Amino acid sequence: MRLDLEKVVLFAMRSHLNERTSVNLSKCASTTLRWVLLGVFFLAVGALSAQTTGMPKSFNELLNAVVRIDVREVSYDTGVKRFSAGVGSGVIVSKTGLILTNAHVASPKAIELLVTLSSLERVGAKLVGWDHWTDLALLQLDLDEIKRRKLRFTHALFGDSDKLYPGQVVYAVGTPHGLTRTVTRGIISNNRRYFQDNRGVRGYETGEFNTWLQTDAAINPGNSGGPLVTEKGAVIGISSRGYLGANNLGFAIPGNIARRVADGLAHDGSITRSYIGIVPRELLDLEGFYALALNEGMLINSVDPGSPAAGAGLRAGDVLLAIDGQRVDGRFPEQLPPIQNAIASRPVGSTVVLTVKRGTETRDYSVVTEKLESQVGEELAFEKWGLTVRKVSKAYARNNQLPDATGLIVLGVQAGFPAAVAGLSHGAIITSINQQKITSVDVARKIYSAYEAKPEPTLVEAQRFFQVSLYILKP
Amino acid sequence: MKSPSTSVSPPAKSGSDSDRISAPSAPGTRPFARRLLTACALVGLALTSHAAEIRDLWKERLKSVVAIEFFTETELDRRPTVIFGTVIDREGTVVFSGAAVNARSTPTELKDFRVYLPGENVRNYASATYIGQDVFTTWHYVKVAESLWPSLVPITNFAGPASTTTGVQLAQDVWGIALRAKDEDFTPYILSARISLMQTIPQRTAVCMDDVAGPGLPVFDSKGVFLGLGMPGFAQSYLQFSQRSPSGEQVALVNIGETGAFQLADEILPYLNRRPLNVYGRSVPWFGWYGLQPTDPEVAAHLKIDIGVVVSEVLAGSPAEKSGLQPRDVVVAMDGKPLPRLKPDRVMVNYLVREVARHAIGDVVKVTVLRNGERVDVAAKLVEEPKLFREAERKYFDKLGFTAREFVYGDGIMRRAPVAEHQGVIAHFVKANSPAATAGLVTDDWIKEIDGTPVKSYKEAIDQLAAIQADSSRAETVLLIRRGGDTQVLRIKLK
Repeated sequence: MRLDLEKVVLFAMRSHLNERTSVNLSKCASTTLRWVLLGVFFLAVGALSAQTTGMPKSFNELLNAVVRIDVREVSYDTGVKRFSAGVGSGVIVSKTGLILTNAHVASPKAIELLVTLSSLERVGAKLVGWDHWTDLALLQLDLDEIKRRKLRFTHALFGDSDKLYPGQVVYAVGTPHGLTRTVTRGIISNNRRYFQDNRGVRGYETGEFNTWLQTDAAINPGNSGGPLVTEKGAVIGISSRGYLGANNLGFAIPGNIARRVADGLAHDGSITRSYIGIVPRELLDLEGFYALALNEGMLINSVDPGSPAAGAGLRAGDVLLAIDGQRVDGRFPEQLPPIQNAIASRPVGSTVVLTVKRGTETRDYSVVTEKLESQVGEELAFEKWGLTVRKVSKAYARNNQLPDATGLIVLGVQAGFPAAVAGLSHGAIITSINQQKITSVDVARKIYSAYEAKPEPTLVEAQRFFQVSLYILKP
Repeated sequence: MKSPSTSVSPPAKSGSDSDRISAPSAPGTRPFARRLLTACALVGLALTSHAAEIRDLWKERLKSVVAIEFFTETELDRRPTVIFGTVIDREGTVVFSGAAVNARSTPTELKDFRVYLPGENVRNYASATYIGQDVFTTWHYVKVAESLWPSLVPITNFAGPASTTTGVQLAQDVWGIALRAKDEDFTPYILSARISLMQTIPQRTAVCMDDVAGPGLPVFDSKGVFLGLGMPGFAQSYLQFSQRSPSGEQVALVNIGETGAFQLADEILPYLNRRPLNVYGRSVPWFGWYGLQPTDPEVAAHLKIDIGVVVSEVLAGSPAEKSGLQPRDVVVAMDGKPLPRLKPDRVMVNYLVREVARHAIGDVVKVTVLRNGERVDVAAKLVEEPKLFREAERKYFDKLGFTAREFVYGDGIMRRAPVAEHQGVIAHFVKANSPAATAGLVTDDWIKEIDGTPVKSYKEAIDQLAAIQADSSRAETVLLIRRGGDTQVLRIKLK
C-alpha cells in the first residue's frame, strides 16, 4: 500500500516545550499521574517476573548512549526573528562524540543544542551537518567540556538493518514528551515502507531517497532522533515520525542508511546529491499499457520544466528502462527510492544515460546532472520593516511556474511595522525593491542596510498569484 | 425581509393584503418597527393621501417588472434559477442582472426561460428566449413571447427629464418594487427608503438606509419617475457573536430578495439599446492587459501620481502587446483622460475593464503609463477577444464520467502556458465516483495525451474519447494530465 500523505497527517516526533501536551502532563500530576504511576509499577512488576534474566548487557550499554537533546532555535515565521525551544532524542554513535538525531530536531536554525547524557549531565553540542532528505542530522559533543568536567559517555553500535524481518522485536528509546530514557517495545511492522513528503521536515522535502522501517513500538513526540534497536541493543533505525491519531504506526530511517549519511555528514558537513528533474511513479498494473515485461521499467510521471531531463527531451509518460545500462524495476512504490538514489548518488555534473521507452520507440538520452537543491531557500528577517522572508530557490521557482529564482517569499509580517502597514502579507513574492530586481539575498540585504542607515520610503513590488502590486515601506 | 428561497416564513398572518404591502416584514421584527416609525415620522398626518398616491403609481409601474425562471442543464442535473427583470421596450425585451448566471455555464445550457407576471397564478407563465449578455453593462437580455406584450409597459415610459435623475440627492425619499417568492405567485410589494450615500463604483450608485427594491427591479421618486435599478449582491458587514466565536466573527450578509442599493437611471437608460447580437454577447472588444492592480494612496504619492493601476501581464498576441505596453507598467490615463480616483481602490479595475468594453472593435485605445518614472503613451486598435470559456465546445462522456471542454485562450492564461502549447482539452466536469474520478481526474485538469497520443485539437480528442467509450472490449484508457506545473499519468479502468 502506498501511504497517501494528503489524506493522513504525519507528525514529526519532536516535542515542543510550549505545547499543550507537556502542560497537561504537569497539570494532571496530583491524581491522574498517581494512577498512571501505579499502572507503570504493576507493568514493571509483571515484566520483571516474566523476564527474570533481564535485558542483555549490550542493551543496557545502548541505553547509556541515548541522549536527550534540548534545542533552542530561531524561527522566521512571524515577521520577526523569534526563538523557540523543543526536545528531541539522539544516540551517540562514535567514540569521538558524534550524535545521530533527526534533521527536524537539529537544523541549521538551532542556536543552542544541549545534550543530556545518561549520567544526567548536560553538555553543549554543535551541529556538524544535516540532511533533510533523509531526516538526519549529526551533532558533535563539546569534547573540551567533557574533558574539563571529566565526564564519560559510551557509544552505540549499529546492526544490519537490511536483515530485519517483519515481526522482529525492536525497542524504541528516547525522550517522548520530555520523559527521558523511555523504552518502548514493538515489532518491525514493515521493513520497506515508502513515503515521500514534500514538506515533511519542517517545510523541507524528505523521503525521496530512502525507504522507512515501520514499527508498532510506541513513538511519541520527543522520540524523534532516538534509536530503534534490537534486543541486543544494536541500532537498526532512527525513530522519526508517526501517524497522528493512529495506534502505533511509527516510522524510522533504516540504520544502514543512517550510517551512510552520518559518514557523509561527518566528512563533508552535508550530503551532495545529483538532480535531473524527473518525478517517478510506480508502474503498478500499467505494464500492459506500456507493453512492458513484468518487473521492468519505472514511469516518469512528471518532468520539471527547465530541468536537465526536460532539456534532454524527456517527457511525462515516458518509461525509464535503464540507468547507464543498469535495468530498472519500479513496479512498486517502495522500489522508487533506490532508483532515485541511483541517480542522486552520481557526482554532480556527470552524464547519466537513461534508456527510455516512449510509445513503441526505445532510445537513450544523455542527461547531465545538476546539484540537488531544496525548494526551501535561505530565510532572513528585516527587523525594522517587521518582515521575514525566504529566498525563492531554483526548485521553488520550477514548482511554482516562476520564470526564474528572482524574489523573496514573505513568511510573515509584524503587526504595526512598515511591511504590515503597507499591506504585505504571508505568501506574497517580493520581486523588486526600489526598482532593483531581487536576484539574490545580498541585493535585499544591501537595500535594507541603506534603509537602516537612513530610513526613507521604500518601493516594493510584489506578486501574489502572478498579480503584481506595489507597496510603500514607510519609516 | 425574507429571501425568496426561505418560503417557510409567511408574511403577516393577521394582516389584510394592503397591510402586507405597506409593511412587508413579519410583525414584531425590528425592521418592520423601524420602517413603520420612519414612515410615520416622514409623512405624519399626510400619510393617508400620500400613501394612496404612491399606491396608484406602484400599480401602474408593476407592468414594467416580471419574474424570470430558467433552468441550467448540466451533465447530471437541471437546476432552476429565479430572478427578477425589468421590461425595456414594447416588444417584450427584459433585462436582468449579470450575476444571475454562473460564469461556468455556457448559454446552450440555459434552458426553458419562463416569465411570470407579478401576482398572477404561476401556472400562467409565458415562455421567453434568451438573447445574450452585453459585455459593457453585463446585463442579460431575454425576449418574452408575444402573447404577453400587451401586459407589459417599458420602464422608459416612466423616465423623467434628464435633470430629474441627475438630480438624485442624498436624503431623498425613494420607493421601489419587490416581488415575493414563486410559491406566493411573485406577489408584488412596495419598499421605501431614503438615500444615504452616493458612490461611483464605477457606475453611479445610490445606497439607501434600508432595502428599497428587489434586485434588478426599478426604484422611483415620489412622483413615480424612474430613478434606477436595484443592484443584486449588495452585502453588509456584521460581526456575528456565537458560542463558536465568542469574540465575534466578521460575516457579510446579502439579502437575496431585496437590496438597499440601486444604479442610477443615467447608467441604465442610455445603454438599453446594447442588445446582444448573439447569445455569446459578441462582439467583445479585447485589449489584452491582465492582472490589473490599483495603487494605494501611499504608492501613488510616492510615484507622484493621483492614482494608477499596475498591469501584471500583457497577453501574448493581444493589441496591448502590439502597442508596446509592458508588464509592470502603471496606467495613469486612458484615452487622454487621467484616471478618476474611485473608492475603494479595487473599483479602479472595474473602471478600466469597462472603459475597454465601452469601445467597439477597431477603435483605437490610447493608454498613458508610468514606466521607470517616465510617462509613455501607447495605443492599439481593439480586436475581437479570443474564444471565451462560455463559447468553448464541450461534450460529456458518461461512461468515462467526465466532460471534455475545448481549450481556449483563457485556459492558457490560467495555466500560464505559452500560446504554442495551447492544445489539449480541459476536464470541465468530473462525475463523483465515476471511472475518471476514481482514477484521480479532477475538475480543470488539462488533458494533454489520451492513450499516449498527444491531443492536437478538440475534435480529435472528442473522436478518440467517443471511440474509447464505444469500444465495449476496452479495459482501460490512460490519460496524461497537467495540474499546476506537474503532470500525471492517470489510468481509467473501464471494466
